[in-house]
Amino acid sequence: MDNLIEQNEEIEVPFLEVKGIKKSFAAVKALDDVSLCFQKGKVHGLIGANGAGKSTLIKILAGVQPQDGGEIFINGKETKIPNPHTSTELGLSFIHQELSLVEDFNIIENITLGMPKKTTLGMINWRKMHRDVEKVLKRLKLNIPLNTQLKELSVANKWLVSIARALYQDAKLIAMDEPTASLSESEVELLFNVIKDLTENQGISIVYVSHRLDEIMEICDEITVMKDGKKVFYSSIGEITKDQIIDVIAGFNLSSEKAEVKKVENTDVLLQVENIYANQKVKDVSFELYKGEILGLTGLVGVGRTELARMIFGADRIKSGRMLYKGKPFSPKHPKHAIDKGIVLVPEDRRTEGIISNKSVNFNINLPNLSHTRSIKWLSFVNSKKSAEISKDIIKRLLVKTSSEHTNILNLSGGNQQKIVIGKWLKRSPELIIMDEPTRGVDVGARAEIYNIIKEMAVKGTSFLIISSDVEELPGLCSRVIVLNEGRITGELTDSMITKDSILKLSYAHAK
Amino acid sequence: MNNQISLNERRRKSLRFTSKYGTLIGLLIMILVFSILKPTSFATFNNFLNIFNQGSLSAIIACGLTAVVIVGEFDMSIGYVASFAGVLVTGLMVNQKLPIGVAIPIVLIVCLFIGFVNGLIITKAKVSSVITTIGIGGIVVGLNYAYSSGAPIATGVPDQFLNLTLVKLFGLIPADIIYMVVLLVILWVVLNRTELGQRIQAVGGNQNAARLSGIYVDMVKTISFMISSFFAGITGILLASLIGSGTTGAADTYMINAFAAVFLGSATLKDGEFHILGTFIGVFIIQIGFNGLAIFGAPTFFQYIFQGAILVGAVALSTVASKYASK
Repeated sequence: MDNLIEQNEEIEVPFLEVKGIKKSFAAVKALDDVSLCFQKGKVHGLIGANGAGKSTLIKILAGVQPQDGGEIFINGKETKIPNPHTSTELGLSFIHQELSLVEDFNIIENITLGMPKKTTLGMINWRKMHRDVEKVLKRLKLNIPLNTQLKELSVANKWLVSIARALYQDAKLIAMDEPTASLSESEVELLFNVIKDLTENQGISIVYVSHRLDEIMEICDEITVMKDGKKVFYSSIGEITKDQIIDVIAGFNLSSEKAEVKKVENTDVLLQVENIYANQKVKDVSFELYKGEILGLTGLVGVGRTELARMIFGADRIKSGRMLYKGKPFSPKHPKHAIDKGIVLVPEDRRTEGIISNKSVNFNINLPNLSHTRSIKWLSFVNSKKSAEISKDIIKRLLVKTSSEHTNILNLSGGNQQKIVIGKWLKRSPELIIMDEPTRGVDVGARAEIYNIIKEMAVKGTSFLIISSDVEELPGLCSRVIVLNEGRITGELTDSMITKDSILKLSYAHAK
Repeated sequence: MNNQISLNERRRKSLRFTSKYGTLIGLLIMILVFSILKPTSFATFNNFLNIFNQGSLSAIIACGLTAVVIVGEFDMSIGYVASFAGVLVTGLMVNQKLPIGVAIPIVLIVCLFIGFVNGLIITKAKVSSVITTIGIGGIVVGLNYAYSSGAPIATGVPDQFLNLTLVKLFGLIPADIIYMVVLLVILWVVLNRTELGQRIQAVGGNQNAARLSGIYVDMVKTISFMISSFFAGITGILLASLIGSGTTGAADTYMINAFAAVFLGSATLKDGEFHILGTFIGVFIIQIGFNGLAIFGAPTFFQYIFQGAILVGAVALSTVASKYASK
C-alpha cells in the first residue's frame, strides 16, 4: 500500500525538468531563461522556427554543450550533464534526423555500437547480447532477423533500430528530431504506434521535435512552442487547435493568407520531357512544363523524384528518352550546361549539396555569379565591391536574417540558409528553378516567405518545378501537380483537383 | 555556477586564441630565445637574410602544394618532380645544348603535364590522390634516372643559368628571395582574388555543392595539381642553379617540410583553413628551427627527428585549430 502511494507521488515529479536555462553564442541568445518539464510516459512536442533554440536545448541535455546558466533536474534531483556519456547514463537518449547508424553493420551491431560489450573471459559474448537485443526488439514488436544489414532496412525500420538502441541503453527519455521527415504516411503510422506503446505502456518520456503540426496534434500529449530562444507557449494538446499553434509560431495569422493560385495561360512550353528512363529509378516519364508555371512533382520518398530533377539539371545522366528545352533538344552533361541555359537547382540536402559551409554568406551567394562580378570582361578577377552589392541585394530581397554578408553561413538558421541557396541563383535571372524539398527543415515564417518569392517570380514568367513530400504545401502553391510512384507517373492534378487526398491516392496508385 | 561558466568560456576563448596565434607566438618565442642565447651568431641581419634565402625554395614548393591541399587532396610527388626538373633543365642545356630560354619553358611544360596526369587519374579514375601521386612520383624518379643515368650533371652548366640565383638586388638581397616574393604574391592573388581561386576554395569546402553550383570540379582539381607541379618545377630549377648541378635526388626531401609548413600554416591566423600566408609563416618557423639547431651545433640525426616531429605536430595543431573553429 505504501509502495503504491509512493509510486503515485513519483508520477507527480517530472522525469526531467530544466529551470532557467541560458545559453549564448557570441552576442546571440540561443536560450533565454527556458524552463520545461518532461513527464513520465508523455509525448512532449517541441516546436518552433529554426533558430528558436530547440536544438541548443537538446545539445545541452545531450551533454554536447554546457549551459551558461540554469539547472537541470532528473526525478527531482539536481544534475549536471558535462558530457554525452553522463547524459546516456542518466537515461537520456537522442535520435537525430540523420540517424547515427552504420549502414554496413547488422542490427545487433548497430544496437550495441559503442556500448560496453557483454563479455565472458574477455571475449565478446554475442549470445548474451543477442538475447538482450531480442528482448528490446520485442518491446518494439520489430520482427527482423538480427543479422540483417542496416542498409537493407527501410527508413522507418532504421528509426525503430535507433529507438531499440536507446532502449538497449536503458533510456527513460528519448528525444526525436523530425522523425517523420523522410517517412511515408503508412510508416508514420507505424512509428506512432510504437511511440504510443512506449509512453502509455512502458512509461518512457518522448520529446518530439517536428515542424509537422498535423503529426504533433496526433501524437503529442503536450506542446511547448519556442521562439528566439524563449519558451513562448505551453499547452496540453486537448486545449488547442492547429491554427492557434501556427499563430503562436508565426506571430501572425498564416492560415488566413490562403494562397491564390494564378491561372497560367498555358501556351509556351518551356521544357518537354519525353519517355525518360534513368538510373533504374525513373521509368518512361513524360511531361511538359510551361512558362511561368509552378509545377509540383510529388509521390512517396524514393520513387524517383530527386533523380528526375538531377537529370534535368545535368547532375545525373539520362539512360534513354529525350528532353526539349524551348523547343530544342537538350541533354546536359554537367550542371553548368543547364545553368547556362537558365535552369537551376535548389538541392534536397542543404548541408551536403547546397552550401559551402565554412564560407561566408557572400561567398555562397556569389559562387554561381563569379563572372557577373568582373570589372573587365576578359579578366577573371573577382570584384569584391560588386559581389558585396549582389549579396546585399539578395539579402534584402529575400529578407535574409544575417548580421552582415560576411557572416559564416553556418551561423544562419536553416530557413535563412535555404534563402541563400535560392538567392544565389537569382542574379542569373533563371527561367526554370527546380526546387527539391524547398521547405524541409524551414520554419513556418520563412516558409511563407519562400512561397511568396516563388509566386512573385512565377508571375513575372519564371517557371518552377517543385518537388515536395509535404502534401500540405502543394495545393496552395502549385497550379498543376504530377504524382510519381515507382518511377512512373501515376497521375496529374490541376487547380482545384489538387488536394491532400487526391495526391495521396495517386501516390499509392500503380501506373498502367 | 557563473564562475564555472565564465571559466569555461574563458578557457574556450583562450584555446581558440592559442590555435589561431599560437604558432606566431611560438615563432616569436623561438626567435627571442635564440637571440638571447646566441646574440652574435643568430640575431644578425646576415643570418636572417640567410634564413630567408634558404627558406625561399621551401616556401615556393610549399605554397604550390597549398593549392592541392585546399581542394582536399595530397600531392606526394612534389619532391621528385622538383628533383627531376633540376636534372632535366641542366641536362637540356648541357646534353641537348638548348639555350636557357628554351630549356626552362620545356621543363615547366613537362611539370605542368605531370600535374595534369596526376589530376586526370585522380578525378577520372577516382584513385586516391595519395596513392596516385606516390605512384606518379615513382615514375618520375624512374624518368629522372633514365635521363641522367643517376650521375649528376655538373660540368658545362652555362653561367647564365647559375647567375639566375647569384644576382642580388641592390647587391644585398639574394635573387631567390625576390623569386619567392613574386611567385607567392601571384599565387596569393590567384587563390584569393580570381574566379579560379574562388572555385578552388569552393571545391575544398564542399565538392557536391560546388558541382551543383556549376563548377567543373574535376577541372578545378586538375588545375590545382598543375599549380603544385609547376611550383615544384620552379623550385627544382632554382635549386639546380643554386647548387650548380642537376642531381637526381637533390629536392626529394623538400616534400616533408612542405607538408609540415602547409599544416602549420593552416593553424596560423585561420582556424585550420589552408592559406598562402600561413604556409609562408610555416616555412619560416621550420627554417628558423633548423637554423637554430645548426647554430647550437645539434647533430644531424637530431635534425631528422625535428623534421619528423614538426610534421606530426603541425598536423595535430591544424586538426585542433579546425576543431575549435566550429565552437
